[in-house]
Amino acid sequence: MITRTGLILFAIWVVILATTPLHADNYIVRTAIMISMYSVLALSWNFIGGFTGYPSFATVAFFGLGAYVGAIAQRNGVPMVVAWMLATIVVGAFAAALGSILLRLKGHYFAIGSIAVVEVCRLVISSWRSVTGGGDGLNIPLLRWSPDDVAIFFLMVMLVLMIIVFALNAFVSRHRLGFGLHCIRQNEDAADMVGINTTLYKVIAFTLSALFVGTAGAAYASWVGYIDPTDSFSILMTVKVPVMVLLGGAGTVLGPVIGAASFVVLEEIFWSNFLDWNRAILGMVIVFLIFFLPGGLLRVSFRKVRDRLKGREGVAT
Amino acid sequence: MAFQNSKESRCSTFGQRCNAGLLQGVGLAAAALALLVAAVPMAAAQETIRIGAPLALTGGLADEGMKQQLVYRMWAEKVNAAGGIEVNGRSHQVEIVEYDYQSDGPRAGQLAERLATRDRVHLIMAPFGSGHTVIAGTVGERYRVPTVACVAGAESVFSTGNRYLFGTISPNGNITETVVQYLVDSYPDLRRVAILGRDDVFPKSMAESTAESAKAAGLEVVYNALYSVGTMDHSSSMTSIRRAEPDWIYITGYSQDLILARRQMEDLGLTAPVVTMVTGPAMKEFTEGLGGLANGVTSSTWWHHSATYEGLGVWPTTASFYEDFLAASGGEDPDYVHGACGGALSMLEEVLPRAGSLDGEAIRDALAETSIETFYGPIDIGENGMNQARDLPIIQVQNGSVVVLYPEVIATGSLQILEE
Repeated sequence: MITRTGLILFAIWVVILATTPLHADNYIVRTAIMISMYSVLALSWNFIGGFTGYPSFATVAFFGLGAYVGAIAQRNGVPMVVAWMLATIVVGAFAAALGSILLRLKGHYFAIGSIAVVEVCRLVISSWRSVTGGGDGLNIPLLRWSPDDVAIFFLMVMLVLMIIVFALNAFVSRHRLGFGLHCIRQNEDAADMVGINTTLYKVIAFTLSALFVGTAGAAYASWVGYIDPTDSFSILMTVKVPVMVLLGGAGTVLGPVIGAASFVVLEEIFWSNFLDWNRAILGMVIVFLIFFLPGGLLRVSFRKVRDRLKGREGVAT
Repeated sequence: MAFQNSKESRCSTFGQRCNAGLLQGVGLAAAALALLVAAVPMAAAQETIRIGAPLALTGGLADEGMKQQLVYRMWAEKVNAAGGIEVNGRSHQVEIVEYDYQSDGPRAGQLAERLATRDRVHLIMAPFGSGHTVIAGTVGERYRVPTVACVAGAESVFSTGNRYLFGTISPNGNITETVVQYLVDSYPDLRRVAILGRDDVFPKSMAESTAESAKAAGLEVVYNALYSVGTMDHSSSMTSIRRAEPDWIYITGYSQDLILARRQMEDLGLTAPVVTMVTGPAMKEFTEGLGGLANGVTSSTWWHHSATYEGLGVWPTTASFYEDFLAASGGEDPDYVHGACGGALSMLEEVLPRAGSLDGEAIRDALAETSIETFYGPIDIGENGMNQARDLPIIQVQNGSVVVLYPEVIATGSLQILEE
């Protein structure tokens, strides 16, 4: 559920991101693209991880798969935008098929299973050399535009994706699907007994969590011009996404956006200013945020933080 | 919870207090973004030549990234102490702008973009990995900033038509032909070769071109396979290789892969008269990590410090670089990564004055016509932007230290055959 205030804030945020090319250099624009891309990933993850409460680590499998489907299609002469659509469809179908098997697992077992999906995808892509180029990776035809135009174009693409996934999040949270997913998160057996088709609902949520991640992957591939199995299926990336959602507030509509933005910006600040200690500092920040803000930035209460620092436990969240 | 229908639960997310939290969150992100825009210093004084260096200081390629960093710093210090580089009648100090790209592709692109736009570097020294070189080079090309790769050996990196990407080590093809020829000459009984390669740009292309060179030289390739990045167990490959009974085992990969492979060969009792590992003994981690087991392993490399080349600029001979390096590293020997990256920077001392300007296009044109001698060996940039063929050293670990077998002018020993 999202209020008018939330919606206005999101609109302002979109405007801020969309206008970066007007008042900042391309490095900032690139950061804005990364923020939008990670927002797409985090908002997508929210369907399965936030609403449904299934800790999926498969996000990067969809991302990498989308990147590869898009890249292979483009190399075979499919126009760029059509290649992205193709990637969306293939990844969606893959997630639906996979979901019906994988979602029989619960809790930790599901988490491990979803990590295995990433590994299997990486190995298949890396071994299927005739199609994917294996460890050599793939070069994708680059857009021969000026750097400014390329940056603006991909910023708009990622922003549009972000708005679509955001709207879907808002829609699902109001719809009976969102209600059903929430029931599944609270008690799956009970949800089943009151007549919710839990399998169907979970598969829908899982597919939604994959669809636009696939598109984002394909767009990313067109943007950077080179992909390889190690980077496209990086475990680090798949862990980042849930952290972003938790940072912002899982199961809310605006949380993933705030989480993704804060995470990317924090990362950038630490990277550019602390060459040797950036990872340690970022790690400490994450530990701090998760420990003191268990509900995410959306539920910050400074009184509670203060109480905790003093050793007194605040009222339960 | 955000998606409940009751009024009460809606309030818990976006009620008064929550709205405050929300505002704080959005405000925080916006403020931080503004901080990024405002707080980063603009490029320093005009006079400095800025060279961007996305380095892999953490992650899988950290060892190699640190080697690059060490040599970059040595060079900048030395050049600045000597008065900088003269371009168009004016002396310029040099500055290396370093970032850690975490051995992560997207971040390499992000940092290259930062270097090109925010730091306005004149040149980018490419990251270690061949794939990451492609990503950084693509960004460089967009901004017309030349990118120099000092350790990317795979020709595929230079076949993308990027006019702004240059490489200073020689194509893998030459190196493998030399090795095959040398081994056939020194060990006439060599007939059967088993090849195991890491499925990654550079090691893979080494494995493939060795297979071709071996076939061309009339050897029989009895085993030829690739293992994927991150493989923690080579025992099934080793068992298959043992069944194939090769005279020569050739394995490619980076230090950690090869240390593991050598140990598992020992565990499974797999031996052959000749064992070659690339990069293996070319990196000191290999000999240090394996101790006695490293003995007898041969390798090809791009550079060895016992070579005697005449150079230019701050390092006029190989010996002068070696001496400086020992002082900087606390007595440890340099390997080819140090040599190749030092050589690439040395090259700039000749290229930049010849370019006559710090404009990206001028530097690119000057780089494309480079044909010089450095302490690292000759650098002669070819059509595709890569250094042309030259004699590359073959080395072997003998009694714990690295001995040069080839070329004869710098050889310090001859091939030892391993006992079956």
